[in-house]
Amino acid sequence: MRQALHAESTKLRTVRGTGWLLLAAVALTIALSVAAAAAASCPSGGCSQDPTKISLTGVQLGQAVIAILAVLVVSGEYSTGMIHTTLAAIPRRPTVLAAKALTVSGVVLGAGIVAVLGSLLAGRLLLPALSLGDGPTLRAAVGSVLYLILIALLSLGVATAVRDPATAIGVVLALLYLFPILAEMVTDPSWKRHLAQIGPMDAGLAIQKTTNLPGMPISPWAGLGVLTAWATAALLAGALLLHQRDA
Amino acid sequence: MTSGTITPYRSQLPAGRDGFAQLLRAEWTKFRSVRSWIVGLAVAGLVTVLLGLLSVAGSHTSCGGSPGGPAPASACTPPLGPGGEAVSDGFFFVHQPLDGDGSITVRVTSLTGRESELEPWAKAGLIIKESTTQGSAYAAVMITGDHGVRMQYDYTHDTAGGTGAVSEGSPRWLRLTRSGGTLTGYESADGTHWTEVGTARLTGLASTVQAGLFVASPDHEEYDQSLGASKTTGGPTQATAEFDHVALKGDWPSGTWSGEDSRGGDSGRQTSVEAFQETGGTFTVSGSGNIAPALAAGGNTVEMSLVGAFAGLIAVIVVATMFVTAEYRRGLIRTTFAASPRRGRVLAAKAIVIGGVTFVAGLAASALAFSLVGRIRRDHGDVVLPVSSLTELRVVVGTAALLAVAAVIALAVGTVLRRSAGAVAAVIVLVVLPYILAVASVLPVGPGQWLLRITPAAAFAVQQSLPEYQQVGNAYTPANGYFPLAPWTGFAVLCVWTTFALALAVFLLNRRDA
Amino acid sequence: MTTSPSPLFSVPDVEASIEVNDVHKRFGPTVALDGLSFTVSPGQVTGFVGPNGAGKSTTMRVILGLDAVDEGSALVSGRPYRSLRHPLHHVGSLLDAAALEPSRTGRNHLLWLAHSQGMTARRVDEMIEQTGLQTAARRKAGGYSLGMRQRLGLAAALLGDPPVLMLDEPFNGLDPEGIVWMRGLLRSLAAEGRAVLVSSHLMSELQDTATHLVVIGRGRLVAATSVVDLIAAASGDRITLRTTARSDAMTVLAHAGATVAATGRDTVTVSGLGSERVVSLLGESAVPFHEVSAHHATLEEAYMELTRDEVEFRASAGGGMR
Repeated sequence: MRQALHAESTKLRTVRGTGWLLLAAVALTIALSVAAAAAASCPSGGCSQDPTKISLTGVQLGQAVIAILAVLVVSGEYSTGMIHTTLAAIPRRPTVLAAKALTVSGVVLGAGIVAVLGSLLAGRLLLPALSLGDGPTLRAAVGSVLYLILIALLSLGVATAVRDPATAIGVVLALLYLFPILAEMVTDPSWKRHLAQIGPMDAGLAIQKTTNLPGMPISPWAGLGVLTAWATAALLAGALLLHQRDA
Repeated sequence: MTSGTITPYRSQLPAGRDGFAQLLRAEWTKFRSVRSWIVGLAVAGLVTVLLGLLSVAGSHTSCGGSPGGPAPASACTPPLGPGGEAVSDGFFFVHQPLDGDGSITVRVTSLTGRESELEPWAKAGLIIKESTTQGSAYAAVMITGDHGVRMQYDYTHDTAGGTGAVSEGSPRWLRLTRSGGTLTGYESADGTHWTEVGTARLTGLASTVQAGLFVASPDHEEYDQSLGASKTTGGPTQATAEFDHVALKGDWPSGTWSGEDSRGGDSGRQTSVEAFQETGGTFTVSGSGNIAPALAAGGNTVEMSLVGAFAGLIAVIVVATMFVTAEYRRGLIRTTFAASPRRGRVLAAKAIVIGGVTFVAGLAASALAFSLVGRIRRDHGDVVLPVSSLTELRVVVGTAALLAVAAVIALAVGTVLRRSAGAVAAVIVLVVLPYILAVASVLPVGPGQWLLRITPAAAFAVQQSLPEYQQVGNAYTPANGYFPLAPWTGFAVLCVWTTFALALAVFLLNRRDA
Repeated sequence: MTTSPSPLFSVPDVEASIEVNDVHKRFGPTVALDGLSFTVSPGQVTGFVGPNGAGKSTTMRVILGLDAVDEGSALVSGRPYRSLRHPLHHVGSLLDAAALEPSRTGRNHLLWLAHSQGMTARRVDEMIEQTGLQTAARRKAGGYSLGMRQRLGLAAALLGDPPVLMLDEPFNGLDPEGIVWMRGLLRSLAAEGRAVLVSSHLMSELQDTATHLVVIGRGRLVAATSVVDLIAAASGDRITLRTTARSDAMTVLAHAGATVAATGRDTVTVSGLGSERVVSLLGESAVPFHEVSAHHATLEEAYMELTRDEVEFRASAGGGMR
């Protein structure tokens, strides 16, 4: 496992584009967060919006870049045929997937911390109502980093299962983006609520909410749990298919 | 070094036609010969229909939300105006029949709300209406709470007159005349100098109509910004107006006024407070409700059946991107450009093929989703706010066109980036994410509307079936189904983006080595 | 030089040649082609050889208008490739046999190419038959062996019945039978008056096929010559001597001023002396020998001689070019 881990981290480091994608993820997250916070024009004291959630809006954009990164870790190998080399070097396929998952998690952890801290600091400057020290905001910050890691793992699992990069990214973004739209369009309130509870993005981003918590369809940590379930399911499906299929 | 004895080869093969049609045919052959692309397009159509059906899920209980238990199916259906659109037609009507041509003049001395809360669009004035049936044709000239004098007719039409509120110190004179099918509204500050406010031509207006005074006051609504401007509080309101100097011209056979709520007795409203009194030529009339077009928030809209188009869109973007990036991935792009060295034309052919194929598939899917959902809703007795066939056609065809143009922009971005994952993500983020941020997120209304003006997501305006009426107070926000741009204008925004992406792609194609 | 053909049923009036004039091409800091010039004439198979990274593939891409030149020009039938209206009627090319959409059948691959030139499915089926792909044509190309891909690539190249053919490493992946077939096909295509340019890094493949050679190294022309001339030059005036008394013979001949090299246990290569002089010298010194013959270099040897400098380059630069 250690060798596999070492091999994967070397691959990730040496593939061109990894650095750019991480940079893009951080930059886009902070950029959209800043734009949202600037647009919110929340007067100090009375803020009708949730300042923490506004300051972390960029995560909704940054996650797309993280998804690309995670998808390419797997699909890139399939499209170049490198997967044969990889699996010849380390024949235990679940180990390969686990090593990839760990490596990607580590990288996203780093980028996520930078992106979330940057967003919150910028938010603090723009929204005086935002206090960085309080419990809910800390929970939102830690949770947002975890959210990005889980998105990466979900993408990794999906990419392992479907192999083709375009399809993989399409599936991941459909999972993320379609639930909120459906929840918005469905007229029935209980369906609305259920969709918001099971959608990976809606549920996962509940972790960013710091105000009006009782009105939420799902509590913050339970929401992150839903996303964890999605990521686990995707990884298991990927591992199963990787195991069963010819490389 | 040439061996001079050899005759260079001359092909006996007839030369084919040189033309763009050949290129189109080649690209079509390419597209149809990869099964996964055809499957991808079929999936796009399928999810469009299936998710459309999901939007009907569990909605058969909603029936206008009328208090006091389930209402009969007929009560669910909103009245329809002369244009076929759903309308609300509730006001207090003090009327008598008018035969043939004539006019009515009145002075309004006050318009007040209950507990001095006057709705901006509270209305009091003169109205000539085909009948007391809800949804019948009318024309009215009125003073409003905040929007001055207006001339309105047939629910959707509105012309502004003089500004300023009415009070004891500054009363307003109003006059409404009928001459055949032409009804004209006038206003005056003093009863002698008259200004025309507007004219309505109501075709087929009966010879005998109901004419008189009316007062309406729409429901109060307040919006909570933090939830994307969704309605949180509200309720019925009431306004009271005082009229005097009522003057009639023409043939008014009954000679007596009768007052009633236009919704009739079964409206469930307290009719006791909605009354009118006449004392010495002064009429005091109280009314609630509104005479105006119905809003998207009041029921299911046509475009709800096409929510699946978002899922279809993602599948289309994947297929369209692969249509070009697969060639880069395999090195096939060199074969393509060796066969057709004019690269811009190749991209154009690809764009037309993928756009055309997507349009056909998208049209089939959206038409199917539209008709299936419509049928299910009818069976459930759900209210669908009716719109004209032309609007329905625009929504369905516009959705297909949106998918087609999105396919073309995906193709262009794929050509620019040459990598599928990045291109697919970029296009989905560009087209879908702004919509989510504007509609279903924490973003305040203002920035949300800007996103739907300048990003490709503006094109979803093409699905908006109900127009925005400035004479009806409402939060015209994306979350309520209202886009900041007109349908085809929004669609044009996507087209502009696509044009730029295509231009960049052609530029890079010609500059880069294949 | 030729006007573009009228839309229907005219035979394209095209000249069977490739002219590369002083082409310069760099990829970033790397010079790929450095003033390369040569011509390919009709009626013969021209071998295009050079070590890996010499610029063969780049040259072919430049000729096909895929890569833009920085300087110079590459003309096909006297015209830049990008100005051709039906390029496949002018030049048939096979750059990379693996460049296929794996889920598309071989026949459909040929079909879209045919459609792009305004040709019909009948021509496609002709080519499938000519290249022996009948059984594979309706299967997905992703399952093809390398040999089948080469055949499919050749079918694509021949689709427009072009007077000029340009093939990059067509022997790769062919079984011995396929190699024989390919050689025969190339020779017969040239015999019809076509100009055929075939690149290869294995001279032995070209031995019985090419009559002309264009040898390049480091993006420059090393030699453009007929195979006969090249081998004669490489053979030079050298003589091969077979003797059981190798060291004696070498001593005698060296004394007489010849350059002598032992090339085997009982063979010596001599240069600088005529064969009659060698025979008489050995006879005078009573050195036994059983054969004196003029040395006949193989194409491989001739090539090695020409590209000796380039091999150093290969060892140091490691073939970083596309």
